Amino acid sequence: MKANPRDVFTGTYYIDGDVAAAYGALAAGCKFLGGYPITPSTEAAEAFARKAPYVGAQFIQMEDELGSIASVLGASWSGKKSMTITSGPGYSLMMENIGLGAAMEIPFVIINIQRSGPSTGVPTSTGQADIMQSKWGANGDYEVIALAPESPQESFDFAIKAFNLAERYRVPVMFMADECVGHMTEKVVIPDASEIEVEPRRFYQGKKEEYIPYRRDQDLVPPIVKAGDGYHLYITGLTHDERGYPLLDHRSLPKIEKAKVIHKKSTNPYLVDKIRKNKDEIIEMQEDHLEDAEVVIVSYGITSRVAYRAFEQARQEGIKVGMLRLITVWPFPDDRIAELAKKVKGFVVPEINYGQIVFEVDRCSHGKANTILVPHGGASVHKPDDILGAIKKIVKDNKKYEQVIEYTTTLEKTIFKGSLTEKIKK
Amino acid sequence: MDPIIEIFKKGVESSQCDQKDICMVTDIAYHPEVTDYLGMDLFHTSRGRAIPFATGMKLANPRLKLAVFIGDLATLGGNHFVHAGRRNMDIHVICINHYHYKKVGGEYAPGVFPRVPLSPYGSFDEPLNIPHLARSCGAVYVARWTLLHANQLSHAIAESLRKTGFSVVDVISNEPDILDFYFQHSEIKNGEDTLNVKIVPDGKIIVGQFVDRERPNFIDSYNEQMTKVLGDKFVKIEV
Repeated sequence: MKANPRDVFTGTYYIDGDVAAAYGALAAGCKFLGGYPITPSTEAAEAFARKAPYVGAQFIQMEDELGSIASVLGASWSGKKSMTITSGPGYSLMMENIGLGAAMEIPFVIINIQRSGPSTGVPTSTGQADIMQSKWGANGDYEVIALAPESPQESFDFAIKAFNLAERYRVPVMFMADECVGHMTEKVVIPDASEIEVEPRRFYQGKKEEYIPYRRDQDLVPPIVKAGDGYHLYITGLTHDERGYPLLDHRSLPKIEKAKVIHKKSTNPYLVDKIRKNKDEIIEMQEDHLEDAEVVIVSYGITSRVAYRAFEQARQEGIKVGMLRLITVWPFPDDRIAELAKKVKGFVVPEINYGQIVFEVDRCSHGKANTILVPHGGASVHKPDDILGAIKKIVKDNKKYEQVIEYTTTLEKTIFKGSLTEKIKK
Repeated sequence: MDPIIEIFKKGVESSQCDQKDICMVTDIAYHPEVTDYLGMDLFHTSRGRAIPFATGMKLANPRLKLAVFIGDLATLGGNHFVHAGRRNMDIHVICINHYHYKKVGGEYAPGVFPRVPLSPYGSFDEPLNIPHLARSCGAVYVARWTLLHANQLSHAIAESLRKTGFSVVDVISNEPDILDFYFQHSEIKNGEDTLNVKIVPDGKIIVGQFVDRERPNFIDSYNEQMTKVLGDKFVKIEV
């Protein structure tokens, strides 16, 4: 389906990533934002609040983040595409209801403009340390989709993508931008509505009497209905069967095929299966010079732009280096990393944290290639030289896979002399 | 059968609202096990977040009527109660005071004074005056009844559903076997100042309808403000 022309503010703008994300959400057909202002994401909420009354959308500043996310879940059940906007501490407050959203299979989007943490951290500066939280934050097993834009233009594009994925798979989608992208002002081109593809909500089409809330289509995603349309929904955060009724029998929890009676089957396995079995459709990444690469830089968000500089320098020096940029951080491209691990010497993973995605890369390489973390404590971005140093180290050492890799927070231990940390010490 | 659900059903029928439009939103402690016969949707949400969940539902689809069931409110989600009242959000709160959370296993609630597993030596906390809190936050309809007053309670639920705005019905509800206790200890005082309805040990449980007034609700105020500022360019949220 094409976007509604009323929702798309076509034109060429000079705006920051926050504002671009809000425009992207509106273009995707988002009609509800419940939020509470928090630096560095406030500009996004401001932009949404300015435009909302023109497009039939509703913005409400809730009393706190707990209320914000709960209102988003409610609004989504009322049939509107919904989202909230936040940053680290607010994101932490939302975790419980993200779990509720995942259990109820509610489509919604969370725009998280990451600051450096932990806790209050540095509100006005960048970080990429919420990546693991976005996957593992709430209790219990569930899967989410997370996207990481690297520029304001991508902020716009990925906001639309986030809504499309949320509606397609009835799943919470995390838009994990970092403060750098959020506050970076660049040219953003908003195309004509006819060029924007949006996923409409997949409403149930059959007979009302035959509707079963969690009965799935072929792709494991159940169609959805609106609250108050006479379907007599029973929707709960308790583990439930496909009718939505609570299922508190421990025998119903294990693998779904073993259950004998249809209504004794828990829907829990589908919360992960609908993402894992469709991951080839979901996963997107950007690859560059991977054909002949000996070293691969795996990066996402703002770090990938810094990494590109290191990539270019290394190529100029004759080092065969390739780039793998994660567009969907979750689900993680396990297979692609495993495939690359067989033929490259090592991976370099720069990220603005003390090691999160690096563990995923290490896990997926199955001992076939070394993985080096280029850590960063936040508040700014890497120096390309730090990443270049890590690339050179892999080429120089040319070691077999080391079983125990010491991931430390300081560059000089992990990588090489003359690092950023050492300079600061001097 | 849960007596409150039975009473609620009667209230809905006598309110003459379209049953299809009514959605029940409950927080964690309270969820009826059977809802099919009620003919309405039920959303059993997370701990204490029923009010903002209902707020989102209402804003995204103003046609809906939200009956929000919460437990002893001063603990989980009390802030949401305060702010839904301040906004005069058009939702209908039915606050079920179990004296303690008997469904869970005996946490004590800041409503009244039982001797339960989590206060083995008796509770010494001041109880919360829920009708007074509701009135001071801006509720347009406030009433309190015990389970003994089933007719008045279903009437109050019907009245509250007919209001557009934040309405609160405080239900003193415990095991039916203490109905006699309610009979001896409750006193009907309609229109009583909510300052005087606090539940105190050895005192009377004051029940009745305490507040019935009009205030502009959130959605109307929002629409009015946007129309004033933006004129024809304002687009209301589509139902």
